[in-house]
Amino acid sequence: METQDAVQKPARTEPVKSTLPQPGRPIPSRSYPGALIVVEGTDGSGKSTQLYLLKRWLEIGGYRLHFTEWNSSPLVKSATRRGKQRRLLTPTTFSLLHAADFADRCERQIMPLLQGDYLVLADRYVYTAFARDTARGCSPRWLRNLYRFAPIPDITFYFRAPLDVAVNRILSGRPKLKYYEAGMDLGMSYDRAESFRLFQARILEEYDKMVETDSFVVLDGTMPVNKLQKQMRDIVASKIDLKRFAPRAEVAE
Amino acid sequence: MPDQEKEKPATTLAAEAPAAPAPPKPGPPSEDHSQQPFFGEPLVGFDPSEITGSLIVIEGMDGSGRSTQIALLQEWLESEGFAVQTSGLRRSNLVGRDIDELLAKNAVTRLTLALMYATDFFDQIEHRILPALRSGTIVLADRYIFTLIGRGVVRGINRDYMGGLYAMALRPHLTFWLNVRPETAFGREFRKAQAISYWEAGRDMSLSHDLYWSFIRYQTMIKREFEVMAKKHNFIELDGEASVSAVNKLLRQRIAEQLGIRSTKYTPSSALSHLWR
Repeated sequence: METQDAVQKPARTEPVKSTLPQPGRPIPSRSYPGALIVVEGTDGSGKSTQLYLLKRWLEIGGYRLHFTEWNSSPLVKSATRRGKQRRLLTPTTFSLLHAADFADRCERQIMPLLQGDYLVLADRYVYTAFARDTARGCSPRWLRNLYRFAPIPDITFYFRAPLDVAVNRILSGRPKLKYYEAGMDLGMSYDRAESFRLFQARILEEYDKMVETDSFVVLDGTMPVNKLQKQMRDIVASKIDLKRFAPRAEVAE
Repeated sequence: MPDQEKEKPATTLAAEAPAAPAPPKPGPPSEDHSQQPFFGEPLVGFDPSEITGSLIVIEGMDGSGRSTQIALLQEWLESEGFAVQTSGLRRSNLVGRDIDELLAKNAVTRLTLALMYATDFFDQIEHRILPALRSGTIVLADRYIFTLIGRGVVRGINRDYMGGLYAMALRPHLTFWLNVRPETAFGREFRKAQAISYWEAGRDMSLSHDLYWSFIRYQTMIKREFEVMAKKHNFIELDGEASVSAVNKLLRQRIAEQLGIRSTKYTPSSALSHLWR
């Protein structure tokens, strides 16, 4: 019952505006047997904890799965690190470098695993880029084109937490915010914490805009962890035919 | 005097993209200049009205003579009193060397490579080319987005996707295409290094195990893409099989017209005379 309240719209129908139009060659939206579950939300919204718990649940159950994180491709990592350290990145190159990173993971992990009938869990996905880079001033249309090779997720969980809650979670746990993380490149404030707050406010606004267009499943990031996890598991179980990803031995029985 | 108002081609790259805005109108320049210097969309945080230099692009396949011509043009323009800067692929501080490493490892997939090249391109645009153009410098670009788009497209990446990626690229004042036959290019490239590299031959595309045929097929595919783009983007096509001096003369004539230089006379200095054939 409470699940019903917190979850806005299961949205099983085709998204009205296909927000990630598929390019000519790569990947028509459902040409693969696997399933893709994505978590999104601002820093401090609780999404990574929740995805971790979902992953543990599935792992313990023996399901075939792969977990992938934003900004983690080894091929592109050194360039990203250098760009950030030396502050060489502009909104455009920041965006492109993250797209290159994502493309590497997409082409070498996400797509092959989806083709190979795996459950893929992604901590942040292209919507992170849409929210963050739009907040930095990049053109939304350009961004949508940039990422249109990305397969559309089966479920996108959006963990929504009020700005103050999320920002305070981060500020209390992390002594020093990094330059780009705090959005210092936007020149909104000389104070890192204040800049971070302003930047996160913009990002939150961009996320909220995508709830409808991208069929986000909105979850309340301020709920107790275990209750939130239960909701998440219920939704996954109802939307995805998990039996297909069960250990093969069991299927054989 | 450089006259950047004069050259305003009417085409836009974004016209390829499905959701593109109306291309800038041809004819008399409108009050709003913001759209025109870029192919499709303005680059975040840059005011194109500050551009006083000229961007001159030389395109053409490996072995078409681009770098030779650029060295000669730079000397000629400097002797005419113009400040010149050159640019080319993989020269950005941000990711130039990273791309070299990716290419050496062959571990990279087509889309990642395309996006790394785009990063390299925009880093140079933002940190080198635009600042130079703002200070009235002539930028000679050894290859530009057209090579990058062509390489992506022959690898099966959607043409609109590639066009959209470079929507914020600065539109060149002049784009020359040194057109040569792949067979000629093969000979020239082979002489340079006594070998043909993996990427020049497009070996990632599995076209042929024979290096010669792999090179020819790959470069022919790229050439076809150039033929498509030549019409759309007003390339000035030059016969790259002609002698260095003959090609250089045609380049000088067209550039002189663009920049308002009266004389196109030029003899290379002793440092460059070995290039003059």
